[in-house]
Amino acid sequence: MNSTLRRRLAYGSNATLVTILLITTVILLYVVLEPYRVRVDLSADQGSVLMADTANKLRLLQADGETVTITAFSAQEGKKEAYFKNRALRDLVEELDYASPIVESQFVDFDRERLTAERLGVTEYGTVVIQRGDARVDLKDRELFRRVGKGADKALEFLGETAINQAFSQLMSDSRRTIYALVGHGELDPEDREPGGLAELAAAARQEHYDLKRLDLLRAEEAPRIPDDAAGVLVLRPRVPLTAVEEDLLLGWVASGGGLMMAVEPQGVVPSALGRVGVVVPDGLVLDKLLVFPYKDRPVPRYRNHIVTQALADELLVTVLAGVAPLQASVPPLEGVRSTTLLETSRDGWIERGGALLNGEAQFEPEIDTKGPAAMALALELSRDSGLVKRGTARVLVLGDADVFSNALLAEGPGNVTFAVNCLRWLVGDDGRLSMVGRPQAVRRLTLSSDDLAALRWVVIGLGPMLAVVLGAAMWARRRGR
Amino acid sequence: MRHLIAVWKKEMRIYFVSPVAYVFLAVYLFLAGVFFYLGVTLTGEASLRVLLGNLAITLVFVLPMLTMRQFAEERRQGTLEMLLTSPVPLAAVVVGKWAASLTLCLLMFLGTLLFPAVLAYYGDPDWGVVATSYLGLIGVASGFCAAGLFASSLIDDQVAAGLIGVVMLLPFWLVGRSEALLPDDMAEKLRDFGVLAHLDSFNRGVIDSIDVYYFVCFTAVFLFLTYRSVESRRWR
Amino acid sequence: MIEVRSLTKAYGPRVAVQDVSFTVNKGEVVGFLGPNGAGKTTTMRILTGFIPPTTGEVKVAGFDVLDEPTEVKRRVGYLPESPPLYPELTIGDYLGFVAELRSFYGRKRAEKVGSVMERVGLSGWESRILSSLSKGYRQRVGLAQALIHDPEVLILDEPTSGLDPGQVMGIRELIQNLGAHQTVILSTHVLSEVEAICPRALIIARGRLVASGTISELRAQAPGGLWYYAELSGVTAPRVGGLPGVAEVEPLGEPDGPWLKLRVRAAQDPRPQIAAAVSAAGGQVRALEQRLPSLEEAFVSIVGREA
Repeated sequence: MNSTLRRRLAYGSNATLVTILLITTVILLYVVLEPYRVRVDLSADQGSVLMADTANKLRLLQADGETVTITAFSAQEGKKEAYFKNRALRDLVEELDYASPIVESQFVDFDRERLTAERLGVTEYGTVVIQRGDARVDLKDRELFRRVGKGADKALEFLGETAINQAFSQLMSDSRRTIYALVGHGELDPEDREPGGLAELAAAARQEHYDLKRLDLLRAEEAPRIPDDAAGVLVLRPRVPLTAVEEDLLLGWVASGGGLMMAVEPQGVVPSALGRVGVVVPDGLVLDKLLVFPYKDRPVPRYRNHIVTQALADELLVTVLAGVAPLQASVPPLEGVRSTTLLETSRDGWIERGGALLNGEAQFEPEIDTKGPAAMALALELSRDSGLVKRGTARVLVLGDADVFSNALLAEGPGNVTFAVNCLRWLVGDDGRLSMVGRPQAVRRLTLSSDDLAALRWVVIGLGPMLAVVLGAAMWARRRGR
Repeated sequence: MRHLIAVWKKEMRIYFVSPVAYVFLAVYLFLAGVFFYLGVTLTGEASLRVLLGNLAITLVFVLPMLTMRQFAEERRQGTLEMLLTSPVPLAAVVVGKWAASLTLCLLMFLGTLLFPAVLAYYGDPDWGVVATSYLGLIGVASGFCAAGLFASSLIDDQVAAGLIGVVMLLPFWLVGRSEALLPDDMAEKLRDFGVLAHLDSFNRGVIDSIDVYYFVCFTAVFLFLTYRSVESRRWR
Repeated sequence: MIEVRSLTKAYGPRVAVQDVSFTVNKGEVVGFLGPNGAGKTTTMRILTGFIPPTTGEVKVAGFDVLDEPTEVKRRVGYLPESPPLYPELTIGDYLGFVAELRSFYGRKRAEKVGSVMERVGLSGWESRILSSLSKGYRQRVGLAQALIHDPEVLILDEPTSGLDPGQVMGIRELIQNLGAHQTVILSTHVLSEVEAICPRALIIARGRLVASGTISELRAQAPGGLWYYAELSGVTAPRVGGLPGVAEVEPLGEPDGPWLKLRVRAAQDPRPQIAAAVSAAGGQVRALEQRLPSLEEAFVSIVGREA
């Protein structure tokens, strides 16, 4: 650099120009860099940035550029938990805002901003409204938070991201698909709200834009057939054998490449279609010594590597089953059938076939029982080589237990909804949406007695300033008289 | 670099032989204690969020008081003349002074580590979140120290410099709370200029590249402005 | 050692220094004279690189103050008008800091601090706090600060202002004892100080350099310049005035008995003629001497002349 130039840069009026240039560059760079932000989550439950799946859905939503408006209303003030709820919601809403340019989110004080609430027709504290174009999903407080534990361990969990994730799915799929559940043989019924019913699954499926309908082939007025709009068929634990016509219809459905899910119970009715696809249901009941608290007496399955169970395994979500029948894929496997175990017991599990009880509990007896791991759910893919399918591949899901989808267990196992929804997604071929749906966030509480508080007050407020004053006095004394 | 350390050492010495540092430490730790106590009793949560959020805001008022003397007083005493006629790059002087005030801040923060210790004793805080919250607080302190230094370089009177500093920093705090004052879309755009928008992530355990960029640039721009201001006041 | 060529410094429309040129050689001690506000401090600040000149060229030890300010600063020791002290620090800490600014660290730093404190007579005062020092001692610390790196060029802005006579003597001695390799520029408005320690002086007024030269050269520049004092008897004033070469004769006060007191101005030294004339007239000479105006007179006349 020659000296005149240097002088002009350093001393001239160009200095102002350089300054303005620098600030402009900094701001421009900010705008350029903002979309490429990298977020590293150091919090313990990794709950502060969105799940990969939610981010994925946001990307899909982003494709057509339509704005997603999220309006979260505050929880009821004065209620004990309001602080946590508001904070959790506010954080989530903000994180969604960060995550995507098409999301416009706001947190609204329900008490103060009545107009917003009225405009959206919201009447409850803690509601979240998600809108995209004409579509709208409302999430209620009870869908966002849940209570876990009992007594002193009672805590609140935030399920907001899970709920919003599901809402996104709902907004995303514009066409609804229909899945038929066979009835008439004592199967789980999509319209049944009792503990043994399927209404909860139907509701969860509806969120995913799947309509779960009853299919009664026995009472069909014309020739019974599987409807044309079927995306999948469920046969969940028939209590009486299916008719030959029905069996043929099911096999025909599979032959046409349709997805079929069948569930059986121990010592129960086994549709013959099962045998045709190469699945055997041996006698006995699946038991496991390895029990997971608090699901005592119930075998808690291990997840094998498959896209249906991947997210559950990643997030350590437990699926709860009840009274599971053992399943076996035929050995050697049928040609053209690929069979994967989804759920199985631990190595300490076995197939119980009766015998003596020890302390009132069943024991593994090598001479009668079969040693585990025992399969509880299988996923089959049938290609044309099997001779069972005429075109494409057909998917067949086989479960040793149907209760896993029942209203009762769906609410009990933290992974049950995810497992059920994933099964449906896989069945109808929505592989893109097969992923984790749940990730609760715990709230860290601090419990202090009034004695603690009294002690704390003096330590916390007094100690620091006192230390500073003492140090200052020491320094003053040292310098005095110099 | 050694010049920078020399300046830093001198600034630290001045802080600690005068009552300034102790008064600040005492007042700040007192405020922090009150915030912490209120935060814990009101929310019942094992988290420093209330405390650190409030501490960041108090920095708007505290830091200019800490930095106000740095150039104003040098100029009044005539020592700036000595600094600038010694073979020391002005940048070393500016950065050395900034580093000294930031160090004092860090010492104040060190004092507040008592609070996470209390949390750990009674509960189970999320250490990742505690760490990133402190990181965010340090980012704010770094930026505010630079801004305060700039204010100090503008005027010879240190009290005036302190006030200018506060006035300069206020908007960076207020734009995060301006929804009520400004039209929505404008408030939205301005929010990114504010400090609060960039603290949220840190307070939730997330380090976001854009927040790091914000605080680094906040500091760098004000240090550069300080440099320019000192430099230009020599020849104007 | 110092070269200043047509230096001009303007603060906006106000011109503080205008077209000043001078040279100071190595080892010289130069006094910088001028009334308050004449531009002394501005000129000195430019020499130290504290402020840049508007136009003109300033070189110190061969380096241009604009192009290589760091080289200049390395070679210059500067004591501003009021000593640049941090009142909170002790003398030792303060000088240590200055030593570090001058890139002396560790042992070297302690050595430099120790030796400079000895030179300015502060030995044993390391732990005194600067704010508790008297004016004279502050000035000494200020001087120590300027001397710590044995600069080739020492620039002192009114080093003795506000000191009591004893302290002034002390500072002057210090300056006089500086080595011959050090070039010193000191500004002052105490003329006796310049006479006492500066062989050469520069006079600046209203931003312009109005005179420069050795002290006697400057005194000779006063209006009328050189004159002669005579105490004679036996002759009259007109008689002396009639002598060849004598331009003007002026009686100084009443005669003291027979003795006539005269101020004589002449182009050439008229003393031989006056002596001859007196002895020819049978008179006597009690005093006959050459006189220069005082520096004060010269200063007032030079500065006033410009007005």
